[in-house]
Amino acid sequence: MLFLIDAWFAVCLLGIIAPIILSETRSARIVAWFGSLASLALLSAGGDALFSRQPLDLQLWTLPELGTLSFGVDHLSGLFLFISGLIFLSASVFSGRYLERYAGHFDLRVFCIFYHSIFVAVGLVLMAGDAVTFLMGWEAMSILAYLLVNCQHREVRNPEAGYLMLTMGEAGFLAVAVALLLLAMVSGSLSFASFRSAAAFAGPDIRWAVFLLSFFGFSVKAGLAPFNRWLPRVYPVSSATVCALLSGVLLNLGIYGIIRVNGDLLPPTSVKNGLIVLTVGSLTALVGILYANRESDMKSMLAESSIENMGIVTAALGAGFVFSASHAPVLAGMAFIAALYQMMNHSVYKSLLFYGAGSIDAAVGTRAMDRMGGLIKRQPWIAAFFLAGALSISALPPWNGFVSEWLTLQTLLQSAVLSSAAVKVVFAICGAILALTAALAVTCFVKAFGLSFLGIARSEQAKQSARVPHSMRTAMGFLAALCLLLGVLPTYVIPALDRAASLISKTNASETLIPPFFLTSPERSLLPPDFTADFHNLGAQIGKGILPGAGLVVLHRGTERNPVVFAMSTSYMIVALAFLLGGSFLVLRWWLARRTQRSIRPVWAGGLSELPPELTYTATGFSNPVRVTFNAIFHPAHVEDSSEMVAQHFRVVIRRVTEEHHVLDRLFYRPLRKAATGIANTVAKMHHGRINAYVAYILLCFLTMLLIGRYL
Amino acid sequence: MESAAETAAQAHQKWPSQLEVWIDRRKPVAELRIRTTEILRDVARWLTTEAGLRFAGLILEQQPEQWEFRYLFYLDHKAGWIHALVHQPVEQVSVPSISSEVYAADPHEREAEDLFGVTFSGHPKLGDFVLHDDSWQESVAPMRKEFDEAAALAERAPREGWRPRTIVEAPGAFVTPIGPVYAGVTESAQFFLETVGEDVIRAIPRLFYKYRAMEKVAEGRTIDEGLLFAERFAATTAFAHALAYCQAVEAICRVKVPPRAVMLRGFLAELERFRHHVGVIQEICESTGLSVAASQAALLEEDLLRISGAFTGHRYLFGLVTPGGLMRDFAGPDCRDAVEQARKVLLKLDSLFEMLRYSSSFLDRLEGVGLISSDEARKLGLVGPIARASGIVGDLRKAQPYCNYDRLQSDEIIENEGDGFARVRVLYQEATQAVHIMGQIPPQLESGEVLAPVTPQQGAALGWAEAPRGATFHWVRLGGDGLISRYHVVSPSFINWHGFHAATENFAFQDFPIILATLGLSVAENDR
Amino acid sequence: MSQWVLKGISSGVKSTRYPDAEETAAGVSPGLPDPSVNLTEAQKMELIERCPSGAIFIEDSSLSVNYRRCIHCFRCVRGVSAPLAWNSGYEWAGLSSDANPPDWPKAFRKSLHIRVVDAGDCGACLNEVKQLANPYYNLHRLGFFITPTPRAADILMVVGPVTDQMRRPLREVYEAMPTPKLVMAVGEGAISGGIFGPSFVTSAGVKEVLPVDIEVPGYPPPPLAILHGLLVAAGRKAPASLFAREADAVLKNR
Repeated sequence: MLFLIDAWFAVCLLGIIAPIILSETRSARIVAWFGSLASLALLSAGGDALFSRQPLDLQLWTLPELGTLSFGVDHLSGLFLFISGLIFLSASVFSGRYLERYAGHFDLRVFCIFYHSIFVAVGLVLMAGDAVTFLMGWEAMSILAYLLVNCQHREVRNPEAGYLMLTMGEAGFLAVAVALLLLAMVSGSLSFASFRSAAAFAGPDIRWAVFLLSFFGFSVKAGLAPFNRWLPRVYPVSSATVCALLSGVLLNLGIYGIIRVNGDLLPPTSVKNGLIVLTVGSLTALVGILYANRESDMKSMLAESSIENMGIVTAALGAGFVFSASHAPVLAGMAFIAALYQMMNHSVYKSLLFYGAGSIDAAVGTRAMDRMGGLIKRQPWIAAFFLAGALSISALPPWNGFVSEWLTLQTLLQSAVLSSAAVKVVFAICGAILALTAALAVTCFVKAFGLSFLGIARSEQAKQSARVPHSMRTAMGFLAALCLLLGVLPTYVIPALDRAASLISKTNASETLIPPFFLTSPERSLLPPDFTADFHNLGAQIGKGILPGAGLVVLHRGTERNPVVFAMSTSYMIVALAFLLGGSFLVLRWWLARRTQRSIRPVWAGGLSELPPELTYTATGFSNPVRVTFNAIFHPAHVEDSSEMVAQHFRVVIRRVTEEHHVLDRLFYRPLRKAATGIANTVAKMHHGRINAYVAYILLCFLTMLLIGRYL
Repeated sequence: MESAAETAAQAHQKWPSQLEVWIDRRKPVAELRIRTTEILRDVARWLTTEAGLRFAGLILEQQPEQWEFRYLFYLDHKAGWIHALVHQPVEQVSVPSISSEVYAADPHEREAEDLFGVTFSGHPKLGDFVLHDDSWQESVAPMRKEFDEAAALAERAPREGWRPRTIVEAPGAFVTPIGPVYAGVTESAQFFLETVGEDVIRAIPRLFYKYRAMEKVAEGRTIDEGLLFAERFAATTAFAHALAYCQAVEAICRVKVPPRAVMLRGFLAELERFRHHVGVIQEICESTGLSVAASQAALLEEDLLRISGAFTGHRYLFGLVTPGGLMRDFAGPDCRDAVEQARKVLLKLDSLFEMLRYSSSFLDRLEGVGLISSDEARKLGLVGPIARASGIVGDLRKAQPYCNYDRLQSDEIIENEGDGFARVRVLYQEATQAVHIMGQIPPQLESGEVLAPVTPQQGAALGWAEAPRGATFHWVRLGGDGLISRYHVVSPSFINWHGFHAATENFAFQDFPIILATLGLSVAENDR
Repeated sequence: MSQWVLKGISSGVKSTRYPDAEETAAGVSPGLPDPSVNLTEAQKMELIERCPSGAIFIEDSSLSVNYRRCIHCFRCVRGVSAPLAWNSGYEWAGLSSDANPPDWPKAFRKSLHIRVVDAGDCGACLNEVKQLANPYYNLHRLGFFITPTPRAADILMVVGPVTDQMRRPLREVYEAMPTPKLVMAVGEGAISGGIFGPSFVTSAGVKEVLPVDIEVPGYPPPPLAILHGLLVAAGRKAPASLFAREADAVLKNR
């Protein structure tokens, strides 16, 4: 594993140096090749770390006053390294041709340097073994993210977006730094290992402070409410590669931080921590998906949808913390597996969707869904891959989103084992909110797919979209295949995730989730004895050897009247279903083709001479019912229809002007701002410019100091 | 208030040199012949605001040496008509548009522009009214004498790139098209609903898909053929239109209709009104989704159709009225019998309406829906039950009585809310009123002939009637050979479709069929 | 809500027993002229001149009425010295071509889905079609349904002479219907253009635009005649002749 990490670091370094030497035109290729190599190295390293028995511990240089800088790669880091490597791989492959469209706009060499640098920074954060390395990596990652976003600084219409991200990120960083320093204060040194061992000695106040500071500090980076207002502003102005990195890698770092500090270094002892995390996650999910429904710009919509997914991950994490604190480690393990699965799935399908949006942007030239339409005819592959991503994010089987969403909701339902009624109520409400967000997600992506790809082209650009290069489609295809695999083979993924989750839950939850006969064949005696006691005379396994996995397992439960039990693994089910459904479809089509005539006619439009695109649905119109239903949340500040008249009676224009403020701005930032300005205004009364008063202030201060000095 | 002659005299005092007054005391009609078109707008404004007249219609006639624009105004409480005439030379036809002053004149001017190719300067919205821009060339003017009607019916390919005129500017606004062929057993008309998603901000109707050029086809035909056209262009209110036409012809040919025929005409007109209103109530019940009420009302409508069929021989009262009287006589006992049967239907309608008034699902869908305020109704010049539901007093049977309506007792029916429920109430009260009037007629029937002979003469006159949907005006000009040389119909649906957009502002999609049903407008009557 | 249920139940069954039995209520049909009267040549010529649509003519020296052109103006029975006889039946629907009964699909026997299109109708024919759904006629009990879309329709019922603006929409409706499909022209307007056509905006009937299978004469045909037309389309009733001859004694519609 060490070799792989070295290889990764070396290739990244090469990736930083090479663009300085070589010409700009090669920069995109450098990104593609070196980035891919580095990613492969890193994901192998991650995979190795995930499955290895022994965590890697590496001590580097010792700095005065700051202690020893160390690396520590355990299962959790390994998982995150794997995911990051995966996304960086797809991003590298995608960017090879995608960046060419920016060739004249900004210096690709700079982009290449930043790209590889942020790769290093991400790795640094994930492999950090002590607070200093962690914070250094975090800061580097923040700044590099800002630089990547504002790379198009000459063109970007909204340079404040990147700046906002940086500022809020720094505030979060400060909170995290304070939290880690508090832990350092308790443990006496700056390494994570010492934090872990000193956790038992931390008093409740310190625990609260560390939890609140670290959770809300990391929530800025993870995109949780209310500190995620930078997300919807930053994504639309970044290129697709950067968006994929932001959502597929950097958001995960926030989650990593939360898990590392609150799950590993300072495990939760009170359910209140978990409840706060759960509530924040659920509300984030709801707000995110509601505003995603409102957007008609594809990248903004995907950004808000990322907020929703991170909310779901956090909610599952919160449930896990609650179960941990309530001494239900198996349930906690399930919850953490669900969270990690959802996070991994989100990285995969969100990157896929961002690549789709980027491809469309490159091919059509617009991101507004109101101006697309009918793209499925000219871009069938992109439509197919985008559909895979949309189905995955809508949590429909057999795609991966279904597995993680299902696991999350199932875990929340297990709240019955908890003792406190209040906790159960919170779980129930949050479960309901998450179910609502699942439904809204489907609406959102039906709109996204339907209005962009189906129907008729609504603009000239959409009618004549260009061809998308193979490498961009390959990257999308790779991720789409991954979506399918992760959805069809959960029984293999869950034990792998469990290795990472068990770090926090301290138990092996995958055994409860996966019946043993799915992992071993019935003949093997590795099955637990109580299992074989019940299910003796284990029956046949159909399909064994043809497909990966256990196929259809028929068991004989000897002690009961109805002795036969069936179980089917998902990989077998998907193949069987594909054969059955696909076969029936083909047979039906052949049979019907013989008996009926097919003719292709124009769409029935009520007798209209032609159906122009102005007379078809827009994305805004499609999402209007959501807007109307949730009016209490959207709460438009001001809706006014004004008309212009001509010749006294003839109306020529009706203008509808709507003013809206985001619910978080209304409920959180505006009161804060009002309070802050209120305090400032009150205090400002002190400064009225009269020099006599200022002298009096100095005197007052002096007297107070003397008094303090006297009595202390 | 004043009569037509006095108003005309006042007009002459205001514009002494620019207008001439000609008075025909018999009709009574006062013609204001305007010499300079600059004062046309002021005259129109003065007539409708200070003199309190109502605008009825605009008739264009292409005479051999000149064009004649005849603007019709009438008093709505006393007999009398004012026709404002403007003449224009044949080569250059353009008059100022009066729509900015008299908004009710807007559809008339648009129709004249499309069909005659004349210009109304200052009108902001000409074009694409009767002759749709995507299938007719701009220069076609079918109503001109030089147009070749016998040209073969050519199939015109639709012109690409036509788009409806949209006026809503909002992010994501789009247009939902409905029609011309849409769900249900409906008349063909097209609607464009401008919306941003859930609520419709504005609905634009595009009619004249059923334009049969009745006025053009009638030119050069005999009086009897003209009667057929009048009867059958809007056959659900056939009798009223045929009656208006016959009155116009009788005015030209100076025929005195026998008193028995006059009373029987009123009887039949009220029978038609009763049947029509029950039909509209049935449509309203059906549109609100109250199936049992819709079926019950349908039973009543069919009962009335059968009563009409048994009494007169035709369910829609065709082949009855003719210039000079009626084509057949009705025995007194038969009339009384018909009244009895109508009263039975009215009893059932009473009980149905009583149940509807307390049905919250019915009321919820009608109250506050499709509101037309009385200001708007007045501005648009609406007529008929729709206008009466918005507080506008106006009924030709009282304002300009015909068929001895001034001898029959009837109440004034007015509601003020202007919403769907107000219209239903007006329809119900008018239906009750119709039966009440029908009951008064058989005792007053005099014996005698029902048909007077008619010899065609040259001349022109206006005939009018209060059709079930509102006031209708038929202008007939007979040439020297006794054939029709100009026939213009202002139908109540033509006037009231203009007010459609006032009822359809900011409504929800689901209310659209309900608003259509409560307005009770006919596309065939509008398109002619 | 229960009051509506009670009201509906208390109204009883109102459906006509047609086609199982004849409908004898008054006012269900305006009837058609019956030329089986003895008239002199002069009286015949008077009738021929009086008919505004040319429905009455002489064929083989006997008086005939072409129901395709009868517009129910009653001028052949009112205001003439020698009126025609009158036949008050309602089974009027006939085939548009006088060929042998066509080979319509058996699938139409049990149930027909109807798409109604108004191609310039005066309003009366459309209103009579609307009455088909009222409890008296209740076309659903015979398996006839009105569909909102042509994609699910078997038979296209056209009312009104086809105006210029409705030509293309009508053709589009026809094209949008799947085969097998039938076209039924209801009313004299749809059959031969009515009194308004043919002109520069109106055609001489639907047959100028689409292939018509069944024609139901009348202006307007009463609902029972339209039902008869649908039953003919379903193959459950025999079509009637669209001509009446003096020599045929009385139209055998009963």
